[in-house]
Amino acid sequence: MSAHSKSAPRGKKTSLGAKIFLAVVGLYLLVPFAVTFIYSLFVEWTDILPSGFTLRNYIELFSNATFWASIGRTLVLCLVSVVITIALLLLAMYVVVAINRKLGNVMQFVCMIPYALQGVILSIGIISLYTGTGTVLSNRMVMLFGAYTILVLPYIYQGIRNALNAIDAEMLIQAAEMLGCSRFRAYVQVVLPNIVSGILVSSLLAQSIVFGDFVLANNIAGTNYQNIQVFLQANMDKSSGLSSAIVVIIFLVVGAVTALVLKLQSSARKTEKE
Amino acid sequence: MATSSSASSPAKATKRRMWLGYAALIPFALVVIAYEFLPLAQILIDSLIGKESGAPGLENFIKIFTTPLYQQSIWNSVWISLLSAVVGIVVAFLAARFAYESSERVRGVFTLILNMMSNFSGVPLAFAFMVLMGNSGVLTIMGRTWGIPFLADFDLYGSQGLVILYIYFQIPLATLLLLPAFSGIRKEWREAAIILKATPIDYWFKIVIPNLMPSILGTLSVLFSNALAAYATAYALVMNNFALLPLQITSKFKGDVQVDAATGSALAVVLILLMVACTLINNHFTKRAAKGREIV
Repeated sequence: MSAHSKSAPRGKKTSLGAKIFLAVVGLYLLVPFAVTFIYSLFVEWTDILPSGFTLRNYIELFSNATFWASIGRTLVLCLVSVVITIALLLLAMYVVVAINRKLGNVMQFVCMIPYALQGVILSIGIISLYTGTGTVLSNRMVMLFGAYTILVLPYIYQGIRNALNAIDAEMLIQAAEMLGCSRFRAYVQVVLPNIVSGILVSSLLAQSIVFGDFVLANNIAGTNYQNIQVFLQANMDKSSGLSSAIVVIIFLVVGAVTALVLKLQSSARKTEKE
Repeated sequence: MATSSSASSPAKATKRRMWLGYAALIPFALVVIAYEFLPLAQILIDSLIGKESGAPGLENFIKIFTTPLYQQSIWNSVWISLLSAVVGIVVAFLAARFAYESSERVRGVFTLILNMMSNFSGVPLAFAFMVLMGNSGVLTIMGRTWGIPFLADFDLYGSQGLVILYIYFQIPLATLLLLPAFSGIRKEWREAAIILKATPIDYWFKIVIPNLMPSILGTLSVLFSNALAAYATAYALVMNNFALLPLQITSKFKGDVQVDAATGSALAVVLILLMVACTLINNHFTKRAAKGREIV
């Protein structure tokens, strides 16, 4: 194998061994989804091959009001929590960029903690702190939004920080200040319009993370406020046909968002090169 | 504006404006304190207040390290995470190596598959494996029909199944993390090694792998903590019927049994410590990796 790849000029032609290995890994990754997809399109699969092509599972799913309700809830959770996080971080980063650079390290530390904690710790901390306090904070929805805001913090933070670095926000603010503009106005009117596209990618990524979340939704809200993942889990034992259709829909939605992110990233890279 | 109106005491005005600017931090600080720091503090405090005695101390920790179920949970979490991380990194290393050597088209398709399938985790992944390898799964039926005992008797709803699922979600993540590191390997090194009569084995084990070691170990720690904290995949597969740290922690706060914040929090602190150790190791290696690249 290594003798083969030695003779092949690197980066031009793919050696056979490489092709086989990559194909095997690719197949391993694709098979579980592919089988689920086929499974969702047939009446039964109790033999080597499935039998009885049908769209019944999808028709049943799309006429299920609980499904649409859980999709709606998931979208509300995605949009609202990501928008809250962006707003909070844009305000906070103003202080880092325009007033005190030294806070940058503190911000980074605070924003990276959730990355290390992940869902289980975050959710049990929040429920044991706020459940039964009898205030608005013990409302499951409020808890859930708070939890998601923290969950997506690392991703949004990195997106905003990279975007601010890329346009050299500090220099822009100083330049605007010299021209008689206040720092805050410069931040809002000069800096923010320039980083919108940079934030877009990280907010899409964050939304796909909220869309895929099960831990927080299940631990904090549970059946009170089912998101799509909790809906899937609740249906898994009842109907495998319906569940396979839900899996396909979830995958298609997240896949579409991922494709959009990749496209935006590659076009950003291209303009950077030019 | 700044020149005329505040000319009397420009320094004072700037200072006042600066303090006003700090107000922009307040909303962020409030949310972070309420939903990041206070919940963490709550866990820490709960873990240190004894369940039986009600007195501060290490009672809960002594209990979890002497109760077989919790010992088993910590041990299972550690070995399943470690095994899946090591298998993941070996597959990812080879995949990244071959993808890096491939043509742009092959690499493009392969990276697209990695990106797409890295989203396939949690409950959907557990369901897909049930369709594939569950009691009446597609591969299970094939195994029975064709007499392949590994497939026919595969126990998805236990440690075997968890390992297979965890390896599955580690591979795309690991490969995506390792791929960029290969661009640090210069073409000239191989040529130089060949001129100096190095065998391919020498080249891989004495040049490439040592050079990539910081990235490999950094990725390994990311994978380990990723598996350690994974909850949805395991819960969807085995519910709470398995001794695994995240499952045991959550079951103390939720579910049929009474809430037991003391034990749950102590278990959570163990998980946090394991994760923090991973993050520190990862930071150490990513810093070294960055340094190494500067020298080269």
